[in-house]
Amino acid sequence: MSVYLDNAATSFPKPNAVIEAAGRVLKDVGASPGRGAHRHAREAMAIVSDCRQKTAAILGVKDPDRVVFTKNATESINLVLKGWLRPGDRVLYSAMEHNSVIRPLTRLASQGVIPEMIPCGPGGVLDLETLKQMLSAEARLVVLVHVSNVNGALMPVEEVAEACASARVPLLLDAAQSAGIQPIQAEDLGLGMLACSGHKALLGPAGVGILYVRPDLDVPPLMEGGTGSKSEELEQPEFCPDRYESGTPNLPGLAGLREGIGYILETGINRIRNHEIGLAHYLENELWQIPGVQVFEPERRGSGAVSFVVEGMNPADTGSILDQAFDIAVRTGLHCAPLANRTLGTFPEGTVRVSPGFSTNIENVEYFLNGLRWIVTRRA
Amino acid sequence: MNSGEAPENSAFEEAAPARVGIYDRSGKKLDQPRWVVRERPVTLYMNDREVVTLLCAGHHLDELAVGFLYTEGFLRSPEDILGIAIDHEAGTVKISAREDGSITERLWQKRTISSGCAKGSLFYFSLDALLSKPVKSDIRITPGRILDRLEDLNHLSEIYRRTHGVHNTALADSDKVILFRDDIGRHNAVDMVVGHVFLNRIPLEDKMLITTGRLTSELLIKAAKVNIPILVSRNTATSLAIELAASLGITLIGFARAGKFTVYSGEERLDVGLPG
Repeated sequence: MSVYLDNAATSFPKPNAVIEAAGRVLKDVGASPGRGAHRHAREAMAIVSDCRQKTAAILGVKDPDRVVFTKNATESINLVLKGWLRPGDRVLYSAMEHNSVIRPLTRLASQGVIPEMIPCGPGGVLDLETLKQMLSAEARLVVLVHVSNVNGALMPVEEVAEACASARVPLLLDAAQSAGIQPIQAEDLGLGMLACSGHKALLGPAGVGILYVRPDLDVPPLMEGGTGSKSEELEQPEFCPDRYESGTPNLPGLAGLREGIGYILETGINRIRNHEIGLAHYLENELWQIPGVQVFEPERRGSGAVSFVVEGMNPADTGSILDQAFDIAVRTGLHCAPLANRTLGTFPEGTVRVSPGFSTNIENVEYFLNGLRWIVTRRA
Repeated sequence: MNSGEAPENSAFEEAAPARVGIYDRSGKKLDQPRWVVRERPVTLYMNDREVVTLLCAGHHLDELAVGFLYTEGFLRSPEDILGIAIDHEAGTVKISAREDGSITERLWQKRTISSGCAKGSLFYFSLDALLSKPVKSDIRITPGRILDRLEDLNHLSEIYRRTHGVHNTALADSDKVILFRDDIGRHNAVDMVVGHVFLNRIPLEDKMLITTGRLTSELLIKAAKVNIPILVSRNTATSLAIELAASLGITLIGFARAGKFTVYSGEERLDVGLPG
């Protein structure tokens, strides 16, 4: 048996419709959307427009044009941080953020931006009262991961969004782990910005990221260039999505993403969430029964990602043995989130992360648990 | 011959005379024999599956096979062993065991794979990472006793004196050498000691292992797998062995000769008579 439990990195396997759509575009369409009036270009444009509509629908955005396609969530986050923040600006971020937030903030700090960390509890959930106190002083932005990529901790996004709205500070929500699992209503929540990737729980191919920016927030683009619109003008168009979408888009990726989101909408996001979180709870319960295994449980769970360590074993070794002896794919280490690992007390070796997806079944989970039990028994 | 009994550990079985040419500076040839150590291949089988062929001196093959298969993770306890069949002429040792060992076989000699996303592992083989644990021991020993036991080892190796062709290994407590083994390979000698203590259920937390070989990571990992707290050699240690010793709580002592030694790791086990 071969078991893939690394869906928090990227979902696998993709629905057949995703694979076929990406292939069909390469085989039959092959044009650049918005860069021509011929049939191929028109069809390409229709695919992108439909993908944008579906993406807007799943993220709770009424106007699809406010949905911007980038290359990944990291680019979306960089676009916001580097466009919105200026020297002297104070930015608040949670102690569970990914390096896609921490690294750009570290660079911006060297240019005079003032990042301040909002503490999180031992399970990784943000301390809301501290955030409210921190918001009493002027801040330019709050950055919050919706669901931790390390242990699946679900942040109190409604309460944080409300606190940010009261303080008139925009909230950038990193929904890389939640989009496709958690219902998101970006506009109802009053989010300032939302960033996510298309290849995780949204089930699309890698190479597509998503960004939503609230219309009243004037965030300059990260790049300028050809958009297929207003080509007579030397300046970048001001309207969305063209303002942020320079250069040829990833058409196979978008065609696949359209089908991935279609699959989720058809299946029902609550069904997907219940399946993945149900497997995660089962995993946590079973892992706690294995002697010498420590699980880093969140106070509230928002995805299927479960992190653990085997006492006395480097997580990389545990993952290596699961791979070599049992053909089980898990992620090990810091998961590009050293700060989150410090919060959970798992720095510098990190954890073993098991992340089931919608296609994972209970037999897959049992197979993994038996593999881990073999490892632990061998060490006894 | 097909027997579970090892042949006598006799210098005359391990060594053989070889007719050689010995010359002095003037070119004069001295026609006299030299004693050389025997070397022979021995293939280990586990439940009829070939595991490895070792080049060795050819004695204590049951201990060698069991020690090797235990430190490599194929055996877990003496109860696992259903039978040991040794064929000295064919150079084979066949062990039948309760577990089939197929999962271990998948891991055998596989290198650990690190993602580069965290502080990585010190181990380079997956089975070593799986089976090595920090050593638990309260043993404390005086430097004098360590040097005394090393001296004992030097007197025990008749084959070495005759051939200069073997590595010696001894298991000792502070008072005496408990077990002595030699072989053409330093790992073989250590595996024989491990095999003996495994088969005879000898606890190791109050013992030290003395070897004439270099203190490498492989030796260190073997010690960690069987809970030996002190490793002593008259030879030097490698950098990875020192790192692993610190991480696995092993006292690592090298250059033990001429009345002194070098401690690379775990000095706290030395009883140097200082007030507590």
